[in-house]
Amino acid sequence: MGDSQYSFSLTTFSPSGKLVQIEHALTAVGSGQTSLGIKAANGVVIATEKKLPSILVDETSVQKIQCLTPNIGVVYSGMGPDFRVLVRKSRKQAEQYHRLYKEPIPVTQLVRETAAVMQEFTQSGGVRPFGVSLLVAGYDDNGPQLYQVDPSGSYFSWKASAMGKNVSNAKTFLEKRYTDDMELDDAVHTAILTLKEGFEGQISAKNIEIGIINAVDRKFRVLTPAEIDDFLAEVE
Amino acid sequence: MTKQMVEVPPKGGFSFDLCRRNAMLAKKNEGAKAPSFRKTGTTIVGLIFQDGVILGADTRATEGPIVADKNCEKIHYIAPNIYCCGAGTAADTEAVTDMVSSQLQLHRYHTGRESRVVTALTLLKRHLFNYQGHVQAALVLGGVDVTGPHLHTIYPHGSTDTLPFATMGSGSLAAMSVFEDKFKEGLTRDEGIKLVTEAICAGIFNDLGSGSNVDVCVITKGDKEYLRNHLMPNLRTYVSEKGYTFPKKTGQ
Repeated sequence: MGDSQYSFSLTTFSPSGKLVQIEHALTAVGSGQTSLGIKAANGVVIATEKKLPSILVDETSVQKIQCLTPNIGVVYSGMGPDFRVLVRKSRKQAEQYHRLYKEPIPVTQLVRETAAVMQEFTQSGGVRPFGVSLLVAGYDDNGPQLYQVDPSGSYFSWKASAMGKNVSNAKTFLEKRYTDDMELDDAVHTAILTLKEGFEGQISAKNIEIGIINAVDRKFRVLTPAEIDDFLAEVE
Repeated sequence: MTKQMVEVPPKGGFSFDLCRRNAMLAKKNEGAKAPSFRKTGTTIVGLIFQDGVILGADTRATEGPIVADKNCEKIHYIAPNIYCCGAGTAADTEAVTDMVSSQLQLHRYHTGRESRVVTALTLLKRHLFNYQGHVQAALVLGGVDVTGPHLHTIYPHGSTDTLPFATMGSGSLAAMSVFEDKFKEGLTRDEGIKLVTEAICAGIFNDLGSGSNVDVCVITKGDKEYLRNHLMPNLRTYVSEKGYTFPKKTGQ
């Protein structure tokens, strides 16, 4: 329609009421590698494909799942460098909150502040929106939580969600398999199966990454390749 | 005609308004001296033993001649493997150690590695030097990292020393006399704790600015032990059960 005439500037609405640059950002996310998250009764799991451009890349140097605070972790779909910038800002905000209030930042607060940063970049001059959607997994006094944050700065709490290339298949699969009283181990298995659905090639501990947080110690951690192998063996 | 005073908002930085007055007073009254610096009321020590570092501190916080806090914590957390004793203005030591602790946490996230003692040292000394001694924090920084155990002292103006044993605060001379007599390399954990406790006790009993209890912190590779109130030589032993009754109009 007349949208194309309004797609050059971020800070101009199109006649249909959309900011076309944000739509394009979502497309960038949609062509990124699949990632997903599942909220279990006693924890949260987030996982992503880790397809490297060549076998010559040292896979130990790439870590897509990052820790924001000891009890909050995050994964993304979309542009890696944009993700790094957001992680840096979020960590700083979490640390400033802790400095001021002497308590660990609640998951909702951190999500809100990160979303506010992403929104800033949709309403400023000379910048572009972030080309990533984030899945934030955390455990605080309100229990396990999973949030998705989009390039527009909107965020939603999910029981289970997926983003990236295989999003529609993955979400259908999750809808069928999700139960409210799932345990963390079941959730990890379901996450692996969901990734397997759209996976090109052989799934192994070297080309996926999984991060979990459980109710017992409330510490977010990325699983080691050995642990991923164990889970993969159980799933076979 | 009356002159009107214009309200000028205060600018930042040091106000030199009273310097002329001070110089004039000093010249006029030959005997009148400017008030001297209030000595920091504290004894803090640190020493390196065979497996790591031991830090010690007393627990008295003073406000001039009054004891403001009988059991305060002078050993501050900087990182899981680094602790810092603080002498001087309590607010300054708290704020500066808190700030550096925050910065090191972010640094740990970005590098994925354990923090090093020299990193904490540099962050602290840069900050203190920037403020030209106005942030009155005298610190004993100790910790164990990949390069081994380290012990440093940091002075309010930003200079630092690296030592095998160190003392700071008003009770530092009393504590140093104990160290100079009994310190040797390669102490065991128990010998080290005993020596640190003795040094702090020397400060507690011989310096008015230090008192109450002894806090000890032992840091070794991969482990730390915060012994809060390790020794309590100043317990209030007698409290009358009967309480006190005063006749009416006492104190008028």
